[in-house]
Amino acid sequence: MAERNKMIIEVPQGVDRLRVEHKKVVQGCEGQIQHWAKVKGDYETLEDRLKTLPDQVSYDIMVPFGPLAFMPGMLVHTNEITVLLGDNWFAKCSAKQAQKLVEHRKKHVNSALDDLHKTRKDFEARVGFTEDLEKLSGAKGDYVDIREEVGSIEEMVSKGKLRVALKPHSKPKMEAVVKIEEEEEEEDKEGSGEGDGGSRRRVLSEEELWARLDELEAQEEQEEEQHRRFDSADTNGNDDTTSSEEEKEGDSGSHHRVNGHDERSKGRAFVPYNGSQLNSTAQSTGEEEEDEAEEEEGVCLPTIYFSHTVEPKKVRINTGKNTMLKFSELKEQKQQAKRKKKNGTSNGHSHHGLHNITTPTDLYRLFVDVKNGEPIPRKSILKSRSRESSVCSDTSESSAADFEERRTFGRTLSHDENTYSDTSDGITEEDSPTGVLLHPTSSFQAFSGTVVEKEPIPLSIPQFTIALPALPTIPERKLEEVAPEAPQEAPKRVSKFKTARLKQK
Amino acid sequence: MAEAIQKKLQSELEKYQQMQKDVSKSMSARQKLEAQVTENNIVKEELDLLDTQNTVYKLIGPVLVKQDLEEAKATVAKRLEYINGEIQRYETLLKDMEKKSDQHREVLSSLQQEYQRAQGLAVGKV
Repeated sequence: MAERNKMIIEVPQGVDRLRVEHKKVVQGCEGQIQHWAKVKGDYETLEDRLKTLPDQVSYDIMVPFGPLAFMPGMLVHTNEITVLLGDNWFAKCSAKQAQKLVEHRKKHVNSALDDLHKTRKDFEARVGFTEDLEKLSGAKGDYVDIREEVGSIEEMVSKGKLRVALKPHSKPKMEAVVKIEEEEEEEDKEGSGEGDGGSRRRVLSEEELWARLDELEAQEEQEEEQHRRFDSADTNGNDDTTSSEEEKEGDSGSHHRVNGHDERSKGRAFVPYNGSQLNSTAQSTGEEEEDEAEEEEGVCLPTIYFSHTVEPKKVRINTGKNTMLKFSELKEQKQQAKRKKKNGTSNGHSHHGLHNITTPTDLYRLFVDVKNGEPIPRKSILKSRSRESSVCSDTSESSAADFEERRTFGRTLSHDENTYSDTSDGITEEDSPTGVLLHPTSSFQAFSGTVVEKEPIPLSIPQFTIALPALPTIPERKLEEVAPEAPQEAPKRVSKFKTARLKQK
Repeated sequence: MAEAIQKKLQSELEKYQQMQKDVSKSMSARQKLEAQVTENNIVKEELDLLDTQNTVYKLIGPVLVKQDLEEAKATVAKRLEYINGEIQRYETLLKDMEKKSDQHREVLSSLQQEYQRAQGLAVGKV
C-alpha cells in the first residue's frame, strides 16, 4: 500500500515535468507561428506596393534622413527594383518580376507556417494526454485503471504440458493398462449379473466417473485438435452419438464402460469424438470383450485411430523408403473379420474390411481403387510414380497367406537395397531399387541372405539373367517382354558388373 | 583511498564536460549549415525565375559587383554542394563525439559508484 502511494507520488512528478516540457514546446511553436505570420503580412504589403509602384514614373516622397529627419524627394525609376536573393546575391528586375519572386517566397513562408501549426497541434494533444495521465495516476476524475487477473496463463501452460506428455504416449498407455485390468474384471461381472452387480458398481465408481469425465474432456480437446483432418470420416456416425453422449452421462454403468474403453483406446489411438465411442460400445458391448483388449472399436463408423507405439515388425512392401506395413495388421484384419461376423450391424461401407486404421499407411489401404475385384491401394502423391506398379502389384496380388511372405521378402529386399546401391555405379538412382526387386534371388545368393521364392517375380529373373550379359539396354527390352507377366514393373537398368556376377551364379 | 577516487572522478567529470561542449558546438555549426542550405536553395530557385535581361549583383563587402546570371547560378550550385559536404562531415564528427561522450559517461558512473562505496567505508571506519 505504501509502495503504491509512493508510486502515485512519483508518477505525478514525472507527469508534471512532462507536461511542462510539452507546454514549452507548444509555446515555442506559437512564437514561431507569430513570426512567420508577420513575415507573411509583410510580403503581402510588399506585393501591393509593387503593383502600384509602376503606375507613376516618379513619386514625390518624404525621404527619411537619418533617424530623426525627413526630406522631400522624388522616387524615380519606379520599375527598376533590386532584389536581395539571399546570401549576398542581388538581382535587378522589373516590378512584375519582383512580384513573381515575392510570390515564390510566400510559398516558402506558407509551408513553414503549416508545419508549425501541425507541430503545435501535436504537442497540444500530448499535453492533453499527460493531463489525463496525471488524473489517472492521482486517482481523481472519472478515470479508472482496468486491471485483469491473468490466471488463464496457468491453464494454458498446463494444456501445453498435457500435450507434451501425451505425445510419447507413455502416461496414457499406463493408464489404459490399469483401466483394462479394471475393465476386464468389471466386464466379467457385468456379463454375469448386470442388474445387481451393475448397480453396486455404479455406486462405487461414481467418483471415478467424475474424475474420468474431467480427464476425458481435457483429452477431447487435444484430440480434436489433432484429428480435425479426420472429421470427414467421422461425420457419418456422429449425429446419432452427440445426443447419446448426453443421455449416457448420467448413466453410470454404460458410461463407466465407455470411459474404460476410452481409456484403453487412449493408449493405442485417439478417439475423435467420445460420442462415436459411446455408440459403438453400446452396440458392441455384449460381443466385444476379449477382442477389445488390444483393438479399438470402429466397427460401425469409419473412425481413424492412430497409434504411435512401435509395432514389433515394420516391413516394407515396396522398395520405396517411406511406405510401411505393420506386422500386426494381419491380426487386426482377422479380428475385424471375426467381429463383423459377430456384429449384425455395420454401416455397409464399401471399405469395412479395412476399418481399422492405425497408421497413415492404413489410409491408403482404406481408400482403395477396386480393380479386377481386388482393392488396389492408392499411392501417395508424394511418392514417385515410377514405383507405382511395383507397389500395386505387391499389395493387389497378395492374399492373406502370401502377405507375410511378401513382407519378409520385402524386408530382405530392403536390407540388400542399401548394399546394392552402394556397390553399383552404373545404375541410376531411381531405377536401382526397383532393379533389385526384379532379380533378388540371384543377388540373395550372392549375399547369402534369406531367399524367398516368389512366383511372379522369379519367373522374370531367369529371362533377366540371360538377357543381362549382352547389353545394359537389352534388359530393358527383356523387361518389357516380361511386362505381361509382371505387367506393372518399370524398366530397369543394371550395371555390367552385376549382370556378370549374376551370370556366373 | 576516497580522495584518490574523488580526484579521478573530478578529472573524468571535466573530460566529460569538455566532450559535451564539443558536441554542442558541432551541433550549432551543423544547424548554421542547415540554414545556409535552405537559403541557397531559395536563391537558386529565384535565379531560375529570372532571365538574362536582369542584371545580377553580388555584394562583396560594401560593393555590389555585377555578375552574369549563368555565372551566378553556377556559383550558387557550387556553394550548395560545398555546404552539403560540410554537413556530412559534421554529422560523422557528431556521431564520434557522441560515442565518446557515452563512454565517458559510463566511466563516470562506475567511478561514482566506487566513490560512494569508499565513502560508505570511510563513514563506517570513522
